[in-house]
Amino acid sequence: MDMTLISIILAAVMLILLAFGVWVSFTLIIVGALGLLLSENFQIGLLFSTSSWGASTSWSLTALPLFIWMGEILFRTRLSEDLFKGLSPWLSGVPGKLFHVNILSCGIFAAVSGSSAATAATIGRMTLPELRKQGYSERMAVGTLAGSGTLGLLIPPSIILIVYGVAAEVSIARLFIAGALPGLLLVSLFMGYTMIWGLLHKDELPQTKPEHISWNTRFRALKQLLPVMSLIGFVLGSIYGGITTPTEAAAIGVTGAIVIAAVTGSLSLNSFIDSLMGAVKSSCMIIFILIGAHFLTLSMGFLGIPKELAAWIGSMDLSPMMLIFYLTILFVVLGCFLDGISVVVLTVAVVLPMVDTAGIDLLWFGIFIVLVVEMSQITPPVGFNLFVIQSLTGKSILYVARAALPFFLLIALAIALVTLFPEIVTYLPTTMSKS
Amino acid sequence: MNTFKDNCYRLSGWLSGLFIVAITLLLLAQIIGRLFGFIVPSAEDFAGFCLAASTFLGLAYTFREGGHIRVTLVIQRLKHGKRRAQEGVVLSLGLALSGFVAYSCCYMVFESYIYDETSYGYIPVPLWIPQLTVAIGAIALTLAVFDAWLSVIRGDSPNYMKHEDSLSLEE
Repeated sequence: MDMTLISIILAAVMLILLAFGVWVSFTLIIVGALGLLLSENFQIGLLFSTSSWGASTSWSLTALPLFIWMGEILFRTRLSEDLFKGLSPWLSGVPGKLFHVNILSCGIFAAVSGSSAATAATIGRMTLPELRKQGYSERMAVGTLAGSGTLGLLIPPSIILIVYGVAAEVSIARLFIAGALPGLLLVSLFMGYTMIWGLLHKDELPQTKPEHISWNTRFRALKQLLPVMSLIGFVLGSIYGGITTPTEAAAIGVTGAIVIAAVTGSLSLNSFIDSLMGAVKSSCMIIFILIGAHFLTLSMGFLGIPKELAAWIGSMDLSPMMLIFYLTILFVVLGCFLDGISVVVLTVAVVLPMVDTAGIDLLWFGIFIVLVVEMSQITPPVGFNLFVIQSLTGKSILYVARAALPFFLLIALAIALVTLFPEIVTYLPTTMSKS
Repeated sequence: MNTFKDNCYRLSGWLSGLFIVAITLLLLAQIIGRLFGFIVPSAEDFAGFCLAASTFLGLAYTFREGGHIRVTLVIQRLKHGKRRAQEGVVLSLGLALSGFVAYSCCYMVFESYIYDETSYGYIPVPLWIPQLTVAIGAIALTLAVFDAWLSVIRGDSPNYMKHEDSLSLEE
């Protein structure tokens, strides 16, 4: 059968199944099997079982359930409250004041929980009422929350980067380190914008005189954050320094999280089991999607679709910039109705050879795709995070989308910067010590 | 009957969790071993086996809890009767697929057993033993899908739907 026709059939079947409510992992396996059938390869069962056994026993993937579990444990401690209390005294002098607490707590919380929606929901539930009570502009409060909730996707240990690393066979340790600078870039863009906004809209901030907070109070507040900050620092530091593999760092992270939970008194048998079951649910779901994606990639390889696509793109003489531009649009559209992980695995199965042929660095591309997925989470008016915040605040979706728009544009700016100056991504990994 | 079924699902979740704990302990042993100069043999192999076991054994539990994600944007607009028909079709498809997955996994175990396949690591492990967990998990998933399929046929809404609404907040 003609290759173009097969590709169109497969793409159509996939879209129909997804829209019809078939689970993402099931859809990937069905489309993979269909692809093999169409290429008249009838060893489907054998290919499926060997590819999924290979995918699910992969050594680098073992980091995934552990990092998810670490997040689930910390999620059940008083972390969100501590972040608020620990950060507020430090930021009261900065224009925009407590908005920065919103941004930074989201950033740190996101780093451990790894889920942008959970971050926005947890931090928002606590900071939104407080900001309203003190008379901050509600629109800006909603905007900072929507924007910085997405930080969790990029700031390591990021689950989505593990998924990309395993699927694209790029070193997870290097991906983590590569994500650090772009993550900081985003946080500084968000904070810089908030400062400028704060200077321009003094009337929408509470009219209190800046109170003088002693350094003593500040450091005492910081002490509450110390355990979690040092845990994240240790996990990332040991990966960066080549002391441990990401998987080992994850095991240390779990242990540290349990110790923190025990010391702060939020560890009980029930919360332990809850956290473990939460980890089971997320990691089963993600790894089963990866198994489906692995099988789909295999089937696509038999059909030769990615190679044809790459050749087609090659014959069009697109510059890498144009390719990146078109891919960005494709991902933003996909991200409107699929979650980030599904977008990544689908992409890797089909688009990656094309990207590779165009001479784009796969490490860079991983960070790029995560940034784009982040942006798609708050694409007005359909981004997934917007719905979370809508249900949290009870505002209309258009209000939330308008509040989040500046942050959407800031992420777009970050993507542009990372594209123009790829060193933002690639510099740190080159300085890593080889282990 | 219902409590027996609930216990089976819980068992699926707990077994899966147990293997996550096992991975953690294995890796900690490896780190400690490196500090004190002993080696945990074939740790990477065993961690991989645990991961496969954890993933497949937890499939049934995750399915029932609505953990497997899907796009609900379109289907949540369907009216009640149509929605039931849609779930019925989706579950029939899911049943066929999970049955196929279970069959392939069982066949893999059978082949590994008769051909005496072992892992290549320091400690050679007959592969059918860790693969057995994968087969059992895949069978359990098929049963879970069948369970949901039955409840739709009977006119109830399947268990995962009850969880999906509350889950949409958490991604």
